[in-house]
Amino acid sequence: MWRYIVRRLLQTIPVILGATLLIYALVFLQPGDPIVALFGEKPVSDAVRAELEAQYNLDQPFLIQWLLFLKGALVGDFGVSYSGQPVSELIGRTLPVTFQLAFMAMIIEAILGVIAGFYAGMRRGKIFDSTMLVVSLIVIAIPIFVLGFGLQLIFGVQLQWVPPTVGSNTSFTNLILPAVVLGLVSFAYVLRLTRTSVIENLTADHVRTARAHGVSDGLVNRRHVLRNSLIPVVTFLGADLGTLMAGAVVTEGIFNINGIGNLAYQAILRGENPTVVSVVTVMVLIYVVASLLVDLLYAALDPRIRYA
Amino acid sequence: MHNHTPRQGQERFVAPTVSSELPALHVDTSHPPENQWKQAWKALRQNWIFWFSASLLVIILFVVLFPNLLTSVDPRTADLSNSLGKPQAGHIFGFDRQGYDVFSRTIHGARASVIIGFLTTIIVTIIGLFTGAMAGFFGGWLDTIVSRGADIFFAIPLLLAAIVGLSALNNVWPDRGYWGGVFAVIIALAVFGWPQITRIARGAVLEIKHLEFVDAARSLGASKWRNLFTHIIPNALPPVIVTATVSLGVYIVAEATLSFLGIGLPPSVVSWGNDIAAAQPQVRSGDNLHVLFFPAGALAITVLSFMLLGDAVRDALDPKARK
Amino acid sequence: MQTKRTFKYVAALSVGALALTACGGGDDNGGDTADGEMVINAHGIEPQNPLVPTNTNEVGGGHIVDAIFAGLVSYNTDGSTEMEVAESIESEDNVTWTVTLNDGWTFSDDSPVTANSFVDAWNYGADPDNAQLSAYFFNAIEGANEEGNIEDGSDTLSGLEVIDDLTFEVTLKEPAADFPDRLGYSAYFPLPEVAFEDMEAFGEQPISNGPYVLDEWNHDVDAKLSTNPDYEGNRTPENDGLTFTFYTDPDAGYTDVQSGVLDIMDQVPPSAIETFQDDENIEAHTEDGSVNATVTIPSSLDHFGEDEEGQLRRAAVSKAIDRESITSTIFDGTRTPSTDFSSPLMPDYSEDIPGADVLEFDAEEAQDLWAQAEEIAPFEGTLELSYNSDGAGNKEWVEAVTNQIRENLEIEVEPNPFATFAEFRELITNREIDTAFRTGWQPDYPSVYNYIAPVFGSGAGANDGDYSNEDFDAALVSAASADDEETRTEALTEAQAILMEDLPAIPLWNQDALAIAAQGVEGVQLNWQNQPEYHLVTK
Repeated sequence: MWRYIVRRLLQTIPVILGATLLIYALVFLQPGDPIVALFGEKPVSDAVRAELEAQYNLDQPFLIQWLLFLKGALVGDFGVSYSGQPVSELIGRTLPVTFQLAFMAMIIEAILGVIAGFYAGMRRGKIFDSTMLVVSLIVIAIPIFVLGFGLQLIFGVQLQWVPPTVGSNTSFTNLILPAVVLGLVSFAYVLRLTRTSVIENLTADHVRTARAHGVSDGLVNRRHVLRNSLIPVVTFLGADLGTLMAGAVVTEGIFNINGIGNLAYQAILRGENPTVVSVVTVMVLIYVVASLLVDLLYAALDPRIRYA
Repeated sequence: MHNHTPRQGQERFVAPTVSSELPALHVDTSHPPENQWKQAWKALRQNWIFWFSASLLVIILFVVLFPNLLTSVDPRTADLSNSLGKPQAGHIFGFDRQGYDVFSRTIHGARASVIIGFLTTIIVTIIGLFTGAMAGFFGGWLDTIVSRGADIFFAIPLLLAAIVGLSALNNVWPDRGYWGGVFAVIIALAVFGWPQITRIARGAVLEIKHLEFVDAARSLGASKWRNLFTHIIPNALPPVIVTATVSLGVYIVAEATLSFLGIGLPPSVVSWGNDIAAAQPQVRSGDNLHVLFFPAGALAITVLSFMLLGDAVRDALDPKARK
Repeated sequence: MQTKRTFKYVAALSVGALALTACGGGDDNGGDTADGEMVINAHGIEPQNPLVPTNTNEVGGGHIVDAIFAGLVSYNTDGSTEMEVAESIESEDNVTWTVTLNDGWTFSDDSPVTANSFVDAWNYGADPDNAQLSAYFFNAIEGANEEGNIEDGSDTLSGLEVIDDLTFEVTLKEPAADFPDRLGYSAYFPLPEVAFEDMEAFGEQPISNGPYVLDEWNHDVDAKLSTNPDYEGNRTPENDGLTFTFYTDPDAGYTDVQSGVLDIMDQVPPSAIETFQDDENIEAHTEDGSVNATVTIPSSLDHFGEDEEGQLRRAAVSKAIDRESITSTIFDGTRTPSTDFSSPLMPDYSEDIPGADVLEFDAEEAQDLWAQAEEIAPFEGTLELSYNSDGAGNKEWVEAVTNQIRENLEIEVEPNPFATFAEFRELITNREIDTAFRTGWQPDYPSVYNYIAPVFGSGAGANDGDYSNEDFDAALVSAASADDEETRTEALTEAQAILMEDLPAIPLWNQDALAIAAQGVEGVQLNWQNQPEYHLVTK
């Protein structure tokens, strides 16, 4: 087990290096001169340009810029944004908000998805099952921003059950609607995953054996079917953390939430390359760590998997 | 052999391959492929969902190919005096803020969305199938390179990657015109979309590479490459096809999202994504929702059709689920 | 405050074509505090830069900097200039200016405001090592280069000289009769000595001499300002304090004004544009605005050179645009079609400029003009109009304008979007853009001169289309050196008449000044910069 963990950790190194290099390359290719953008329509003198280029390592070759970024990132120093704010501070302000939002979304999608999926699977082909399948497909088929605006209009503006936008007050009640919107698509996947998994397990040998041995239906359902069906769901949820972080780009925009997704999007629009690179790096890190945890969790949940 | 065969050997990936509902897909590996396709087709024919989604897709395809048979109104002719006009005779979907005919826009908008969905999926599937199959089949350093490469592209969130990628493309490829605009979106989505297929193809190949009929073929003297193309890849196809069908819908939604974010297709391209994005003030205020409803509805129906088709195909390819 | 060019872009962002914006729409920090103080809660945007006057060029920081600092002069609501910290600013030749300060001004740390407070602040702002965003404003002063930075080989601007504690002398590169009028802009504000010890810390918690002092800056949440008891300038606050609550989504702000959480907001979100004037929960304020929108067709573009063909085509394009219908449908009446190159708000605005009818819609005449140009040389290809799609509503109006030109002139016209302002501006600045493009101007100080000299003067800083016309330049010179208002206005009208003929940029419309206030809020007055006079607001 330990050997496996060490090996997995070692494997993440090229991935993190590669992903930061890739995003750095893309940002390097971005059109637009950040220094021109900073000054708006006012001209910039060569001396000031040289000064700023030196400050942001823009005068260095591409690979050196990347290495300098890595050097800083290793000790948690993501540099300073073009507008003069330490990027780690920006991330420090926004990341907890997105974590809170993503965590709430995950709880919602997991609980609702597993329950609905379990019952749909147990009653395959019945009304509930068909309804859930249609609902899940519709949720996947409508772009999330349309759903988001729709729910905001209904619950925030018309019914006024929750504030239409969140702003700086990230309390539980304020975040509930955005969390639902963020978790909706994944809810559909969790539901479908649980459902297929349940159907598969219902016909699995050990379940049939248990029934043949006279174990009660309820017990079989809970102990064997549900437990085994949860394995792929858990791994899905782990991998989903990354998706939720990225999905936050749209959801946080709709609901005016100061999260990392919004930070990333605004930074792209403003040509704040140091911020873009740093935020994506943080997202990659979160994703890689979540994946590692999922694999370990998977090993713990499924005794049949052994790692050499 | 247990239920979760696709996970075999999968710990070589940094990230779990379970990013869709695919692990539940059971690939029937007890027979050579031909048999399996026949069985699947038989199952498909008996599934009403297949016929339903297939007919929807035929209609959509018709709209994409022959928009002018359905409407004679130019989707780019605008008269501001019609701005936000309600549905009326001759203009059954009404007008949007620019004074465009919404019906004509909805019909003509199909082309960009469907082409982006199709081409992105085809490119992603080809790249993913070959990289994944090679990695799984040959193993060793090739596997390591492909797996890590896929990890790298997969680790960056698709939406952010596509935004940054698209604007980088602007820089190296300005003045793109209609098709350039469409292909830029396809490239941006494909560059970050292939790893998903790679992983699934690789998992499937790993699973079947030591099965009886493959071994039998090998012992009969078939070359490695021949083996890969005649036995391995066809057998790895089912899960790949299912994922591809579903992701086709996902790419259509992704295009709409990019356009919504103002970075997808240029306004000169008539597309559902652009029209949904343009309807945003209406969504906010809750007035004149017809401007939003028709393009969003058309998009949802199209995506839904592909999703349903994917469902039907999966059921057909998975004998376990058929029971 | 003046040209907040980046600000315009940022503000535009938050009005959001995407409404994809984040931020701190607070919903608690209400107005009145426990002891009955009247604190006005205003809509704000998180400042992008530390609050150093020479480094603040966007609206979020601009609101705060303007409220907490006082400069040599201040602007009245109508745009007229009044001495504030300065007792007098005098010159014999419009080149060497002697500035005498009023005695008794102090910063909030009780240190006195002296000649050095200004001279050191300006030198700091112009020093290229400090890379200040508003350095440009020093470019008229001797010793500064075209971009406003101190020239190589010197540590200070040679044109600044401290005479004594309350007097300094400014030497300009060339005569500028309106120099004192420029000095109310934030780049010219003074800094206390303590600032130079640690400018970074100062930017977080500035010490200032204006009507208010900054008590707290809670990033992404709000900035709390209280009145400065030592302030005795022109802008005496009618309230007891200001809180700028930061939003990035204007819809959130609008909702908060409706519910009375927010007292005043200096913009209206696109979703409410149609309805805000009839909204009973708020008080709507609209007035003519000073920000204009134009389309620049660079003279380097094929068929649009500075010749007869180019003139005909520009006039044809201008007359093919139905400004009235676009402002009323796309903008729901919150823009007013342009009648000149400036704004009716300017004190020297003139209603009748010869040739101004070129701005009126006439499809037939447009076609006729285009046909005349075709006889000189036939036009082929597509006329593209570039814009940045991250700015609010740009896509909508560009699409409408291109649709009209296409329809009325029967030529290929397409919108050409750039994802970001940065990208868009870079191409324009480097002259790499080969299309027509959107431009706009917000005046640095209230004068028609400021709309046309920096934009259309030969080789001027913001002359994006590289327009050059000797007669126009001559008219500018006579306006700048005019001794009385009448001669000046005449010269400016003559200059604008030349522009109407050449149309280096095609004026479209002026953005109306909009503000909304909660019920019971009084004293809302929009100044010539389209901003509410926050110090006059009461409730």
